Amino acid sequence: MKVLASYSIKGGVGKTTAAANLARLAAGEGRRVLLWDLDPQGGATYLFRVRPKVKGGGEALVRRRRELVDVVKASDFDNLDLLPSDFSYRHLDLVFDGQNKPTRRLGRLLKDLSEEYDVVVLDCAPSVSLVSENIVRAADLLLVPLLPSPLSVRTLNQLEGFIANVKGKSPGVLAFLSMVDRRRKLHRDLVEELPRRHPGLARSVIPVASAVEQMGVRRAPLVEWAPGSDAARAFGELWQEAVNRW
Amino acid sequence: MTRDLTVDDHDVDVPLDAIVTTLSARAEPRQRTQRTWYDTFDWRLHRAGLLLEHQVRADHGWLALSELSGRRIVRVPTGETGETGETGTISVETLPEGAIRERVTALTGIRALLPRTSVEGPVTMLAALDREEKTVARVAVEGPLVVDGGGPLPVRLRVEALRGYDKEARRVVRKLAAVPGLRSAEEPLFGAACHARGLRPGEYRSKPEARFEPATSAGDALAVLLGELLEIMRENVDGTLRQLDTEFLHDLRVAVRRSRSAMKAAKGVFDEEERTAYAAELKWMGDVTTPGRDLDVYLLGFDQMVARATDPEALEPFRKLLTRNCRKAHTALNRALRSKRFARLADGWSSELARQDLPGPEAGTPIARFADARLSNSWRRVRKRGTAITETSPAEALHDLRKRCKDLRYLLEFFGSLYDETAHREVVRELKRLQDNLGAFQDAESQRYMVLQYAEELAATSAPARTLLAMGRLEAHLERRQEAARAEFADRWSRFDRGRNRRLFNSMVAAR
Repeated sequence: MKVLASYSIKGGVGKTTAAANLARLAAGEGRRVLLWDLDPQGGATYLFRVRPKVKGGGEALVRRRRELVDVVKASDFDNLDLLPSDFSYRHLDLVFDGQNKPTRRLGRLLKDLSEEYDVVVLDCAPSVSLVSENIVRAADLLLVPLLPSPLSVRTLNQLEGFIANVKGKSPGVLAFLSMVDRRRKLHRDLVEELPRRHPGLARSVIPVASAVEQMGVRRAPLVEWAPGSDAARAFGELWQEAVNRW
Repeated sequence: MTRDLTVDDHDVDVPLDAIVTTLSARAEPRQRTQRTWYDTFDWRLHRAGLLLEHQVRADHGWLALSELSGRRIVRVPTGETGETGETGTISVETLPEGAIRERVTALTGIRALLPRTSVEGPVTMLAALDREEKTVARVAVEGPLVVDGGGPLPVRLRVEALRGYDKEARRVVRKLAAVPGLRSAEEPLFGAACHARGLRPGEYRSKPEARFEPATSAGDALAVLLGELLEIMRENVDGTLRQLDTEFLHDLRVAVRRSRSAMKAAKGVFDEEERTAYAAELKWMGDVTTPGRDLDVYLLGFDQMVARATDPEALEPFRKLLTRNCRKAHTALNRALRSKRFARLADGWSSELARQDLPGPEAGTPIARFADARLSNSWRRVRKRGTAITETSPAEALHDLRKRCKDLRYLLEFFGSLYDETAHREVVRELKRLQDNLGAFQDAESQRYMVLQYAEELAATSAPARTLLAMGRLEAHLERRQEAARAEFADRWSRFDRGRNRRLFNSMVAAR
């Protein structure tokens, strides 16, 4: 089982869009996929039309009063299940903090799923916290969306510093440019320049596109209903890069 | 969870519009579907609680793995023809990589996945939705369906629960059960499709399963036993002819060998002329199946055999020659299996032996007494040959002992139901230990012979010297293996022939 985390320190950068589309692509290849919406805002849960509710909240899961598999919901797509968001996830830091080895709780929980799933995709809330440490320790690969702005490089550096400081084996990092508008010169320049400064950056670039915005209206991954779109193709390429990287 | 409902009457139409409204469902257009379930000949998936199905619907194909309860584990898109090879079977090579291949091949081993049953007909897929328009259950309205090689099946509605939405699925089932003309199906579609063509999922035997009462006459008991063995032989003929996998020929051969042992034991039970005639025909069957099986075994174990060779690539011409000869051997075998001689053996045996109008002097002996005597004889023969083997005995002596051990093992299997289970199991276990050693010795012996024979054949062509040298090293390696088995024989024999085992055998026979 491979654990992929769509993670960023910043919000609004296309994390949920990437998580939802990559999860759908993985499932389409016949892999058994679980998408865990760890963000209390529940964007991914909304996209898949699932009720953002976990009985007993995040605490019941972390304290193992409730098994993860018991709260899983099937999505409308083959091989793709969702572990829904719950508003209580905003307190996950505190729940983890009260446990033994608090930075390894998430990884331990995910181990229970290794027979059931081939891929787990974590859609994480934007933060630098104990939850983030758990994610870094549990993931095999971090997918990091970057907005095309000079500040992004700084954000990526910060993130790499953070990962280096977390104990244990470091996950791979696949940062990619997200919400790129090729009509804008600054974006075009950054698409050219950033890979030179960061050779590990993904070759795939996710464009800003109306299809991406429409996902919230259609409430389904765009690779499902607009498979021929530029954005869907870009997610397809990103998925291949992720597979090659883990 | 899945629940199947079916219509009471073949001619009744399902009120689809009313159902769509009742369930607040979204309906897809009516399409044609073909569903084919795959399993090995010995039902390895079914026995592990799994179903593997290839579905085709509206030009799309999927391979789906599910639990017997119907809960789907994974579904992978495939072509319309599925992943089948030339023979219509699925093998490791043709399965798509991923969860299905992992789960399935761990169970199937070298057995091929054969299409076991198949249905075809119209289908309308319904998705029951909640207020968020999320699918909470799927309903497939299928049929009337035609079972390949079986009768028609009336329209059925399959309710497929989605994980986390069991309550909603139960609600859908309740609503459907209230629709006039619909009732719970007695079994899921897979079971119904199997029964429609006379198949019983999970039912397989590679050895006779008849249990005997001590007082049954030897004539009756042996006729039942030989009848069962003949059935097993027949069941494996088609798979052998089509070379679906190598186990068909293996099982066919073992059934022949068991039949030969039973026929030998039956001396005095049937008309002697008839018995010897069948024994000769069975020997012929044994002989004609030998080359094909030997070559199958060599090729199956080829990679393992050459793995220790220093220059495995040099052995490729050897593999090619084996493959070519294997093809030829199977062609010859198929000719024999399609011959009138085999047909006579397969047909005549059951009718003539069962008739028993010319019984032998021992036909009326109670099978228990008969089994005691035959087992004791066989046990004595094994001891006599085993004790006579010394360090200087030729390989044939060990081979001969191996054959006597097989006779004893088969008799123990045939008549196991007459003896104390624990003692019987223990005797078989002790015998098996000895047989394993003799098997290792004989396998190495026959492989060495094969390597030498093929080296000569290759030398007569223009095979590279590298190949012949590699074969020489391989032969030397097999010789070492054979010597190791030979060195171990004395220990194994003295363990088998110790007083404890003799007492165990005597008490097993006496305690009955």
